[in-house]
Amino acid sequence: MTQTPPAADAPIQHGAGQPLPWEPVLMTAVGRKGGRFLPDYLLRGGYQGLAKAVQEMDPVSVIKEISDSKLLGRGGAGFPTGVKWGGTKRNPGPRHLVVNADESEPGTYGNRYAIDADPHGLIEGMLVCCFAVGIQQAYIYIRGENLYGAEVLEHAIKEAYAAGYIGRNILGKEGFDVDISVTRGAGAYVCGEETALMESLEGRRAQPRIRPPFPIEVGGGLFGRPTVVNNVETLMCVPHILVRGAAWFASIGAPACPGPKLYTISGHVNRPGVYELPMGTTLYDLIYKYAGGMKRNQTVKAVSPGALACQLLPGTDLNVQMDTATLTRPPHWHPPFGPVGFGAGGIIVYGEETDIVQVVARAAGFFARESCGKCVPCREGTHWMQDVLSRIAHGHGRPRDLGILEDVTRNIGGRKTLCALGDFSVNSVASALRLFRPEFEAYCNGHARSNAAGSGVPLAAG
Amino acid sequence: MSLSQAARARIVNEFIPRYPSKRAALMPSLWLAQEEAGWLGPAVFEEVGELLDLHATDVASVASFYVMFHRRKIGDRLIEVCENPSCFLNGSDQTYARICDRLGLDSGHGGHGMQTTSDGKVSVRATECLAACDYAPVVQVDLRFYGPVHEADVDAFLANMEAFSIQGKASVSMANGPQAVPVDGWEAHAPPAPGSAA
Repeated sequence: MTQTPPAADAPIQHGAGQPLPWEPVLMTAVGRKGGRFLPDYLLRGGYQGLAKAVQEMDPVSVIKEISDSKLLGRGGAGFPTGVKWGGTKRNPGPRHLVVNADESEPGTYGNRYAIDADPHGLIEGMLVCCFAVGIQQAYIYIRGENLYGAEVLEHAIKEAYAAGYIGRNILGKEGFDVDISVTRGAGAYVCGEETALMESLEGRRAQPRIRPPFPIEVGGGLFGRPTVVNNVETLMCVPHILVRGAAWFASIGAPACPGPKLYTISGHVNRPGVYELPMGTTLYDLIYKYAGGMKRNQTVKAVSPGALACQLLPGTDLNVQMDTATLTRPPHWHPPFGPVGFGAGGIIVYGEETDIVQVVARAAGFFARESCGKCVPCREGTHWMQDVLSRIAHGHGRPRDLGILEDVTRNIGGRKTLCALGDFSVNSVASALRLFRPEFEAYCNGHARSNAAGSGVPLAAG
Repeated sequence: MSLSQAARARIVNEFIPRYPSKRAALMPSLWLAQEEAGWLGPAVFEEVGELLDLHATDVASVASFYVMFHRRKIGDRLIEVCENPSCFLNGSDQTYARICDRLGLDSGHGGHGMQTTSDGKVSVRATECLAACDYAPVVQVDLRFYGPVHEADVDAFLANMEAFSIQGKASVSMANGPQAVPVDGWEAHAPPAPGSAA
């Protein structure tokens, strides 16, 4: 990992040396000395979106601008941000903003990177939201493992308080008061689900709530108050929309869900990493143009387009556009399990040497350990899937096991649980069974790939 | 084992006023208590509960939900190896096994239960995705991320972890382009003590 520091005036490039099709919008801090500190953020045009909102616009026009930009939430659900803000504002205060920085989906790491590089971008987005919706207390909930990110944020918040961007009468606007604090989780994947996250923030076990009432409503949000829950990346888009205009934002990438996107790509690619590209970049371009192609020149066997909670895409489907709209519509819709899903744009690429049964067994183990235990189908079913898959992966599978697996997946998925963890826990398993059934059958008939059976040892190293 | 005066003061003066409900101060309070003692025992549940008007059983039920809160003493250092798909594809199982072997632990233990060396110096366990998949296989030591740590790197890693630190660095992909300068300067700005961001 040694590298020569580049010349200061070198052109901005990404990854395998491929020039980006554009100038990055969100990742302007990368490679700048002290890029994550307030002075550099101001040099890069920081807090101008907030200034424009406060000095030239009113809350209603800010929400309209965000709605016009067609910004969809980047956390996975793809809910229109403007609608969420407007809905929260219609309900009586006090209201809260919660930033979901619990990013725990295996294969997803854009938020960690964005926070490390540009914490003030997030804080400015939060402040714009607080101004537009009328919020005085905002909380950032960050996963416990990411201590470094929490420290970066704490430091940035201190800087912003000292400079008057957080606190009382912000930017001289009478009555525009906001407090921001950081709360650390302590290792629970389910906290990425917004109602579980709020339970955790309130000091409880992170178990999802029954909806309705929804978080934007009285009784449904944090401390029972109307609450906006936004993803880190969503809020980081906001200042740029205000500065450059909704029309500019809406013109980037896929028309149905426009904007810049932090794609994170990992697995069997030569250059795993974070790539900021327009929404709707094709999977082929992501793998071969930016991520440097496949390790050991293998072909692509399958891809998890939105990390582990999404269905697998076959390696023959590389021309698919990677965006929320494409991956949630036919032909990327497989009854009874629903859309393939885009998640938060965490792409895991499996090469032909991957033993998909081992991967899926691991996925099942993950969801079984992370199930919060509130809803029966998920609490019981994920462990059942894990038991069966573990047996298969260790070479003791029986022919009838595949039928059991199909039955269990159908009985967890399909809106039978309060949150998406249960629904999505079956996605990898069910799609792998659909796409690679002969491999499972081989395991169950005593013909497991010899270097994997029994040992739990993966096929690929290095 | 009990909370220090400083910790009690911080809970009362800093954490409780931060939220509209006393109970919400529980997560930061538990973090603070764990930083002091290394783990959370029944006495801490009582004390934190008293400060936040919660029953000790209630506090324990919350603490036990989260895997990062330890309810028994663990080693002085905690090494956790990610075993989720991106790290698995890059050989995390071998990394885990090699670390266990080097420390005299059971490498076939396979998993999320924690093992501690007999001298009480190091605990090891597998963990879920650490959100640093560009550095797979990733290892977390006392809440800092290191990678990539392949099987062949384990000896060097155990001897000098800092050489593998990814924190404050740009993503691997970034490291190959002219943007490759680590996002530096952070350390120069008086880094907070580990864990102070409770």
